[in-house]
Amino acid sequence: MEGILKTLKEKVDQAEVYHLKTSTVPVEFHSGKLESIKNKAIEGMALRVIDGGRLGFATTTDMKDPSELITAAIASAAFGEETVFSFPMAADPTHPEVHDRAVTDLSEEEMIAIGERVITKLHNAEPEADVNLTIAKAVETVEISNTAGVEVEEERTRFSLWVEAGKAREGDIFLLFAGDDTRFQEDLSVDTLVDRLIRYLRYGEKIVPAPSKKLPVIFTPYGAITLLLPLIVGFNGKSVHMGISPLKDRVGEKVFDPRFSLTDDGTLPHGPRSSGFDDEGTPTKRTPLVSDGIVNGFLYDLRTAALAEATPTGNGYKGGLFGSGGLRAPPSIGVGNVLVSVGDKDENEIIDGIEEGLLVESVLGLGQGNINTGEFSNNVAVAFKIERGKIVGRVKNTMIAGNTYALLKDHLIALSNAAGWAHGTLHTPAIAVDQVNIVGQG
Amino acid sequence: MKGKIKQAIARCSADYTEVRIERERRSQVLYRKDKLENLETSSELGGIVRCLKDGGWGIAVFNDLAQLQEKVGEATRVAQLVALHNAEPVALAEAPVIQEEVKAHLKHDFRNVSLEEKKRLIESYNRILLSTSDKIVSTNVRYTDSFREVTFANSEGTFIVQEIPDVTLLLIAVASDGPENIQQGFETFGEAGGFKVALDREEDAANAAKRAVDLLDARSVKGGKYTVILDPGLAGIFIHEAFGHFCEADFLFKNERLSKIMTLGTRFGGEMLNVVDDGYMPGLRGNIPYDDEGVARAKTHLITKGILTSLLHSRETSKKMGVAPTGNARAISYEHEPIVRMTNTYIENGDHAFDEMLSGIDRGIYAIKAYGGQTVFEQFTFSAAYAYEIRNGEVGGMLKDVVLTGNLFETLRSIDMIGNDQQVHGGSGGCGKGGQFPLPVTDGSPHIRIQNVTIGGK
Repeated sequence: MEGILKTLKEKVDQAEVYHLKTSTVPVEFHSGKLESIKNKAIEGMALRVIDGGRLGFATTTDMKDPSELITAAIASAAFGEETVFSFPMAADPTHPEVHDRAVTDLSEEEMIAIGERVITKLHNAEPEADVNLTIAKAVETVEISNTAGVEVEEERTRFSLWVEAGKAREGDIFLLFAGDDTRFQEDLSVDTLVDRLIRYLRYGEKIVPAPSKKLPVIFTPYGAITLLLPLIVGFNGKSVHMGISPLKDRVGEKVFDPRFSLTDDGTLPHGPRSSGFDDEGTPTKRTPLVSDGIVNGFLYDLRTAALAEATPTGNGYKGGLFGSGGLRAPPSIGVGNVLVSVGDKDENEIIDGIEEGLLVESVLGLGQGNINTGEFSNNVAVAFKIERGKIVGRVKNTMIAGNTYALLKDHLIALSNAAGWAHGTLHTPAIAVDQVNIVGQG
Repeated sequence: MKGKIKQAIARCSADYTEVRIERERRSQVLYRKDKLENLETSSELGGIVRCLKDGGWGIAVFNDLAQLQEKVGEATRVAQLVALHNAEPVALAEAPVIQEEVKAHLKHDFRNVSLEEKKRLIESYNRILLSTSDKIVSTNVRYTDSFREVTFANSEGTFIVQEIPDVTLLLIAVASDGPENIQQGFETFGEAGGFKVALDREEDAANAAKRAVDLLDARSVKGGKYTVILDPGLAGIFIHEAFGHFCEADFLFKNERLSKIMTLGTRFGGEMLNVVDDGYMPGLRGNIPYDDEGVARAKTHLITKGILTSLLHSRETSKKMGVAPTGNARAISYEHEPIVRMTNTYIENGDHAFDEMLSGIDRGIYAIKAYGGQTVFEQFTFSAAYAYEIRNGEVGGMLKDVVLTGNLFETLRSIDMIGNDQQVHGGSGGCGKGGQFPLPVTDGSPHIRIQNVTIGGK
């Protein structure tokens, strides 16, 4: 890597070398049975160069021959984007805890045993359930250096468990997902995850008709992404800069209910998306986005920060919005750990207070509808009907639609008092909102 | 390399071994708004080994080809571990031994087009999008090309080298007349061919921009049940997403109850409904001479006269179900093992003209193209890119926010007319399944009419 940077230094104005090594071991169970074990070792390099004010980019996994990579990056800079940013100078990375020896030491046999335990527990409770699951461990080493002096390296671990439980009968298939992604093995509670699946499988035994009217909806932490995805897009500095975010020019304004706060935090100890630096070598940080309903700020990578004359927030991630890292994409704005403020009521208490409404665990077609304006419009995948404070059964073929900005401003009923991790990035309580448009088929 | 691959396989102690080595060269040009966001030429070199030992699968993925022999050993070791815990050993259906080189014949080879020329072309489309109206606030214009050389070898003696080209173009315009009203118009193209598919798209770019602007004044649809006509684009996506995935046998074959629902011979639709997955449509993105298990392409009739007549298979699923493999085991790259996937999937022509479909609809919706969609088992949702209301048999004003949802089986039964104007389209995206996205596929259909479709709205 040093050699490549040195070669580039002689040929271009600025250069950045990103070197990724990952080792992932997924163990897959299909229909309750161990199906395969995979050992995946990927190594590659991505170069960004700036020459004559233009940006070039190239990647390769052919580590034997960096000369071709260098040529490709320089060729792309010849006609590349006219750019206003510079690669950052050395700054102290933050040092969140992101490495767990228990994960690196975890054997394949132990992973098989965890999988078998999940399946046994689910089958004991629900003998008819068809269970697929993936349990995986990963170790990734990211090394970034640039001609301005950044030279950082970090080894991160990841432990994940994804379980899918399905029950099929004539004319009806009920499918549930539960999963979690953590940096430390101890942070993933297998029992909590399985208990939730069992509880929802039971709630779902009975199918009840859904009405067509405006009703309260409680989004569980897993289901809350339906409401939060438009915000993740809206707080993206690029949407703001391009003028497509409704939050543009509204810093300091009260746009949400005062109980609602939202923070992006790439430094959270043990956080599933925490790291010492982002994929551009910028130290990660904690960025308040909404404080007590008031818009506070937006997320930026180097490029957009320079265009918008803002400060980079350490949110330059490869692989987009939920930037799953990787090698091949150039960095763009992505989220760290997205944290939603909690309220003071237990989720069950909130359910108790609902005369008629839905509890939504997941939807189909996330991101459908006009997400830039805050609209969502989705068929529910897993949702339950609430009547007089009780869950009475599952609803099917039911659309929910609304506008996140309107719901979180004027129609917030409550935030629950316990937040849970969801989708490997959100840490959110259950969110109850009123006036969600529901279209049922019965 | 051929010698080394053969040697590594010969030395392997597994019952079945396959090696797939992939070399790729690709480029991308990406504009958003008035900025060039990415211009790159990148390369890829990597391999995957899959071993079957005592009925268990072991897989190893790697970049350093010098480690091939070691990775074959690693895959065998974990396969053995799987076998120890697996009560149901995997076996593979027989497949002919193939030794062949498949060359790509490109009329206008994108590898001979300079990065500068690609950039200029995409920049010109972006300029058209931006200059169509002052209401255009953003664009997303992306060109990609990829040329892959995939070598497949297995312990049965099959050795295939395939060249696989792929070119895509995406044109998106975003229009706005205030923070509350933001709309998109788009056109997408893709072919397993040369540079030509990306050329002469000026009119398409203008159309995408114009549609985004038109949508600003479109009415939101009122939620409810409607008679709906789907255009060939949306109908193609419907048949791929909602039905095609149900035919993928890896999803079915380990589950008795699901298999029962998908029993061959079951009636799913009217006499006029015919659905095909066809691996041989040269130039289309789903065209694959051999799949990633070295099995030759096939034309598979999924629904014939309304009745389920076949599923899609890998060697593993076809063995389990006692049928012949259909050549549908595909992987997006060397990082993944093959799973059962579609190729070019379409509804065949019926005999109705578009005007016949319209007549008799008092109040309906004509839904065109899709932003995307999702299905979980029999439940699906699709967002139409745009739509028109149908009043008293005539196409009326433009509608936005049209989201279709429903149950696959009820919806197939509710198709009451199939048009005679089939189009098969390769877009710029691809299909996603099991963490593998995007796989080049195409889908198509004539116009189809469906009764009682639930439309979500405000």
